[in-house]
Amino acid sequence: MTLDVTSIESQNNSAILDRSLMPPCQAACPLHMNIREYVDLVARGKVMEALQVIRSDNPFPSVCAYICSHPCEEACRRSHVDKQIAIRALKRFAVEFGGDRKVRTEARTIFTEKTAIIGSGPAGMSCAFYLRKLGYPVTVFEAHTEIGGMLRFGIPQYRLPREVLDSEIRRMTGMGIEFRTGTPVVSLDLLFEMGYQAIFVSIGAQQSRRLGVEGEDKPGVVDAITFLREINLGLKPAIGENVVVIGGGNVAIDASRSALRLGARTVNLVCLESRAEMPAFAADIQYAIEEGVIVNCSWGVKAILGKEVITGIELKRCVSVFDANGKFNPSFDDSITQILPADTVITAIGQIPQIPESYGLKTSRGTILVDPVTLNTNRKGVFAGGDAASGPATVIQALANGRLAAIRIDDYLHHRYPRSLENENKSPLGELSPQTIQAIRKISRYEPPLAPPEIRIKEFQPIEQVYNWETAVDEARRCLRCGSGAEILFPDKCATCLTCLRVCPYSVPRIDQDFNIQIPPDQCQACGICVTRCPAMAIALRKPWDRRHINEEIERFRHRIKITQSRPLIIGFCCQYGLFGTGKLAGILKTAGEGIWIIPIMCIAKVETYHLLQAFELGAEGVFVAGCGEQCARENTIAEAKAQIQKAQSVLVEIGLKIDQLQAFLPEAKNDNRSGDPEKWLEEFAGYIGSLHLNSLLAAEGKN
Amino acid sequence: MIIANQKPSNEIWKMIQPYQRVLIVGCGTCMTVCGSGGEREVNFLHNALRLMELKLNQSAHTFSEFTIKRQCETEFIEMLTEKINYVDAVLSLGCGIGTQAIAERFDNLPVLPGVNTSIIGMGTTQGVWLERCVACGECILDETAGICPVARCAKGILNGPCGGSKHGKCESNKEMDCAWILIYKRLEKLGQLDKMRKYYPMRNFQTIPRPRRLIKSVTGGNTDGQLSL
Repeated sequence: MTLDVTSIESQNNSAILDRSLMPPCQAACPLHMNIREYVDLVARGKVMEALQVIRSDNPFPSVCAYICSHPCEEACRRSHVDKQIAIRALKRFAVEFGGDRKVRTEARTIFTEKTAIIGSGPAGMSCAFYLRKLGYPVTVFEAHTEIGGMLRFGIPQYRLPREVLDSEIRRMTGMGIEFRTGTPVVSLDLLFEMGYQAIFVSIGAQQSRRLGVEGEDKPGVVDAITFLREINLGLKPAIGENVVVIGGGNVAIDASRSALRLGARTVNLVCLESRAEMPAFAADIQYAIEEGVIVNCSWGVKAILGKEVITGIELKRCVSVFDANGKFNPSFDDSITQILPADTVITAIGQIPQIPESYGLKTSRGTILVDPVTLNTNRKGVFAGGDAASGPATVIQALANGRLAAIRIDDYLHHRYPRSLENENKSPLGELSPQTIQAIRKISRYEPPLAPPEIRIKEFQPIEQVYNWETAVDEARRCLRCGSGAEILFPDKCATCLTCLRVCPYSVPRIDQDFNIQIPPDQCQACGICVTRCPAMAIALRKPWDRRHINEEIERFRHRIKITQSRPLIIGFCCQYGLFGTGKLAGILKTAGEGIWIIPIMCIAKVETYHLLQAFELGAEGVFVAGCGEQCARENTIAEAKAQIQKAQSVLVEIGLKIDQLQAFLPEAKNDNRSGDPEKWLEEFAGYIGSLHLNSLLAAEGKN
Repeated sequence: MIIANQKPSNEIWKMIQPYQRVLIVGCGTCMTVCGSGGEREVNFLHNALRLMELKLNQSAHTFSEFTIKRQCETEFIEMLTEKINYVDAVLSLGCGIGTQAIAERFDNLPVLPGVNTSIIGMGTTQGVWLERCVACGECILDETAGICPVARCAKGILNGPCGGSKHGKCESNKEMDCAWILIYKRLEKLGQLDKMRKYYPMRNFQTIPRPRRLIKSVTGGNTDGQLSL
């Protein structure tokens, strides 16, 4: 959220407001999901909260967790450092571990205007979901006998298990959305007569394009949409031993991999594009190749051979796919040809919508013509979206389109002028500078586990497994938390002492031409070192929770002491990434028994001296700071924590406590054996503090 | 920039003993920059004193904190007027000037120094400050290649180096550069070595009239900026 900082109100509230900037991943997501937030929550081990964030922006979190095309990952700025965050896999983790499919969504009817959705694909369902949440009575008309559109008939089960889809649909019926299956809508007028006041047409694009070559109508040639639909209906379409799939998109990949699973001996994929130009997702192409699909790039179809039955397919070399203007206009070299043996040919060269004439909607290039802002068609009260209006697109785009339609229908039914959403969804952050990239630690990406290819091709079971808890935390903590870094929140306090400039491990703060300090938000890595070091306390992190979480925890303990009257023996400030991740620090949670209170903190660099002193004030006999050591994603954190500890220790000595009552467990290097095992260390520390406590009790007895 | 060092907490602790309610006042300028009396240090001291209170079982004191922009300006000090009604003493984390300024403003209020004001200097790296000026009031840096012998020579002599200079270091501290060797080297670079030949009459340290007062007329001009008694 960006704020108008000039307004007096926002300045007064600046200390409590969220001043973080939209990260690139969120801007790239068609649904503008708060990705940074849920990745951060996963990193903190708060999976239920992460799921809540996901669910607030996404109507079908489980579906997206399986098959989202993750444009967010393309925009991830970590890709300049090493590799982007596995955002979709983390969402899958949050969805599975948070129990998404067990959660119901509540909705109640507020308005009387009835709305109709034609088509129950992702766009239609998303529109229905949001209209229902807004409080409208919603009816979805579906021509097929089952709900889901392309999600059910187009996407193979190994990518999206049907029980996931079914549970999403159950949730929608639970919200009170009426589904009428087996009901093709032939006339929009009829719907208006039935009392529906707004109609959303999302009939998808289900008509396969034709190749236009000799032999296309022979038995044995099938289009991919029909082929996939038959499989998904539970039929087993008969295929030959040698299958050739034509097309380079996701549908072609799905068809190839499905053919393998049906028992084809060889599957050849033929496409015009070169490997780099193929529109299918790179990861899926990779999976297909692993499973045994032979990808033939830069070939076009010349003819399908054979008299009664197909015997093979003749290909010609495709020289270029796009012309100088970047338009699809393939050119071929007829002198280079090859023949592939084939008894089944599956065409997957794109789909176009089939729009009934009777709807009376204007079309352009086969898709419904809509206003890009309002999604209104040429007919009053009729809106259109999804593949029917945009041409074949991804699920996440369809969901976003459906949500937009719901907002626009709401505007229409309430005679409101449609609000512009354009500027709200841009990230103000620029690219990382080479200097910053250099300074960021490289941490390799954790890929979610996959079933081996030879097992995969035997059945239509989902191939990707979920992260385990620790790996998910480790992957999530790689996030650079773009846009949530430090800022000079109170410029009037800033004495321009240049401390921030000198302590920043990434050299981000700089002096501007007016001799003021600037902390560019697009470079800041949110390590928090300048925040704990600023002598004027003028710097704060942009997110309110980041600013106050340690203080809140301490207050919580203060409250707990009041209620239970029990006092902690030891208070530990522990890196929460380390506590929940794969590192050895995780052992501390297990060892921490009676009397040892753990305060999970975002990073040990965020501990300030006064936090440590307050822990003693709470009554602790011993206080420790435990960092994740070698796993830390940020620079200089250990040195900073040590400095704060030293300062607190100087006070301890003056009040007659022992320096050892405040200790640090900070494994520095990867092979640092001195610091050893945290569990053993904590046991020793607890033993030491326990004996001190006992001594002081005995001494007090003696006095009495 | 005025540089100071915070007093050890137990020294401060002893100082505040006679007073029940103590207001810790920070300074948002020099003391913030040198990390001795800014808002963070005020906060730290507040927490440290509270902890001492608890551990030493006194429970006789209460503390409050406030940081003003600059303790050496009466207008800023006015902001304390309301607060001092509820305290028995002020612990000032301003430099010696700030502490005195508060004392001057509030007649009946004990004002305690929380820092040892040390030098006029410059920061080099984080946490390191070097003395560069003693505010003598008679600047001759044009003659000494921009290096002050009064501040940087252990003896403060104007006609150096003395016989104690060895290999460019000072006899009083083998780690410390001899200021006069530095001056020589820099004059050499500037091509002004003849300035080494100039003789300065001995400074009379005893006659610096204290306290000094600087009066500048608003209209400016060279003759107005006079140091006088």
